[in-house]
Amino acid sequence: MADALLVVEQLEVVYQRVITAVQGVSLRVEKGQIVALLGTNGAGKTTTLRAISGFIGMDDARVTEGTVTYKGERIENLPPHGVTSLGIVLVPERQKVFENLTVAENLDANVARVVKGFDRKRLAASVYEYFPALARLRSREAGYLSGGERQMLGIGAALMCAPEMLLVDELSLGLSPIMVSELMQRLLAIRRELGTTILLVEQNAQVALDIADYGYVIENGRIVLDGTPERLSSHQDIKEFYLGGGSTRRSYRDVKQYRRSRRWYG
Amino acid sequence: MQLTINIVVLAAIYALICCGYVLIYRVSRVMSLAHGELMMLGAYGLFATAGTFSGHPLIAIAVAAVLATMVGVLVYVALMRSMTGEAVLAAVLATIALGIFLRGAMVLVWSAQEQHPIRLLGWTNSAVSIGETARISAAALVLVVVTALAYLSLYFFLKYTVWGIRMRAAGQNPLLAAQRGIGLHGIYALAWALATFTGGIAGMLIASDTALDQTMIIIGLKAFPAALVGGLDSLLGALIGSLIVAAAEVLMIHYIDPLLADVVPFFVLLVFLIVRPWGLYGSKEELDRV
Repeated sequence: MADALLVVEQLEVVYQRVITAVQGVSLRVEKGQIVALLGTNGAGKTTTLRAISGFIGMDDARVTEGTVTYKGERIENLPPHGVTSLGIVLVPERQKVFENLTVAENLDANVARVVKGFDRKRLAASVYEYFPALARLRSREAGYLSGGERQMLGIGAALMCAPEMLLVDELSLGLSPIMVSELMQRLLAIRRELGTTILLVEQNAQVALDIADYGYVIENGRIVLDGTPERLSSHQDIKEFYLGGGSTRRSYRDVKQYRRSRRWYG
Repeated sequence: MQLTINIVVLAAIYALICCGYVLIYRVSRVMSLAHGELMMLGAYGLFATAGTFSGHPLIAIAVAAVLATMVGVLVYVALMRSMTGEAVLAAVLATIALGIFLRGAMVLVWSAQEQHPIRLLGWTNSAVSIGETARISAAALVLVVVTALAYLSLYFFLKYTVWGIRMRAAGQNPLLAAQRGIGLHGIYALAWALATFTGGIAGMLIASDTALDQTMIIIGLKAFPAALVGGLDSLLGALIGSLIVAAAEVLMIHYIDPLLADVVPFFVLLVFLIVRPWGLYGSKEELDRV
């Protein structure tokens, strides 16, 4: 498996020089795959994505241990625009659009990776094809868009950077199930037609596992479980904590107990 | 009539200086309190090139304009770049320090004597009659035209060019801009370059209209209230703020007492800070800057 596009190994991220947000996250994404990274609030999903996409000065965060390798090149602690110019583009969870810019300007502002035969107009046209709703809103300020439209614009604007790999943070957050499944279909289409590799961070395990080729579960800043969607969705603990249902409800104390036992490592 | 012309000229001076404050504030949320000094440096740049390229006034002006632009890039690369990611207050203090340094350095190099770069260029600042009673000096007329051109081109640059859109994007959300591949250092350096370019041009024109000495710093300082009245992050606001401050100042000189001139802009600013602290066109949520 030496041909993995992105390899994260034993990643450790520290905020403000003292707060460790993730420690020992390892994952790999093959070219053309859709990989899901699942976890609850504060598990370290967003931090992992941000570590891949790069921090800026005011984040006051650093990758202190481990490596992020993209196409055989080490990219940890590169500035965000450097990572973007290599072809990895993040669709952040919040603030994914420039609110005082119009939809068209939001697409125009992006600096694309240097690719042969790149054509901004044609790429913009194909973004409007993926998301026809945006075409009608072209000259509307992005601050007035609905949550779903913002998400479309966030993905569309990221596409304008001509990415090889998209990092999508919490696509489903605050959206209706119909909108979520529509956006997931778009991601599948983007992967199919543009060959874009996608790393998907989700709390909503069900929708992510529906389209993913492989999944990781992160807890307390560590990867605790990984496998194919089939394996993950049939896993007892995933059923219980992420998908709902499962067997009888346990009390919080049992959960803690079970975390201490580190059964997932085995 | 003469009163109107005086107001327009003074407003043009303030507006041309203000767009530097606005540009830098808009992209980096930093108030550049060295702007008066940088403006004066631009004027001394013209003084220096006019001496070097004597007999070729246009070349001297062009070289001085390029120098003023390069000063902005230099200030960013050498000083403000290390301030990105620090608290905004730290960056503002850095610009104050830069201002003090420049003030001292300019006295050392060019002495505190009054200079007239326009004479070195071989031109005279003759007065042009408008109508029957009103007059405007040639340099002031050029200044008004240049200000109008500067604002028009800045408007088109920010509105319609890719780099202008990127500049607005970076000002709104630097993190997202960086994630979309926009190099923040390039944008900030560009803003500084545009600011010192327009400021430098303003300095050169003011020096041509009156004279070049230390009082220019005070003009730069008096333009700051105009920018704040307008709201600091809006070019249109800066333009209207300049008009308000200039009108108040000129009318005060005319009807009450010329000695009050230097106080008026700050008085207007005080009134605005009480009545409408976010300025005419400023964004309300930016208020925590004060």
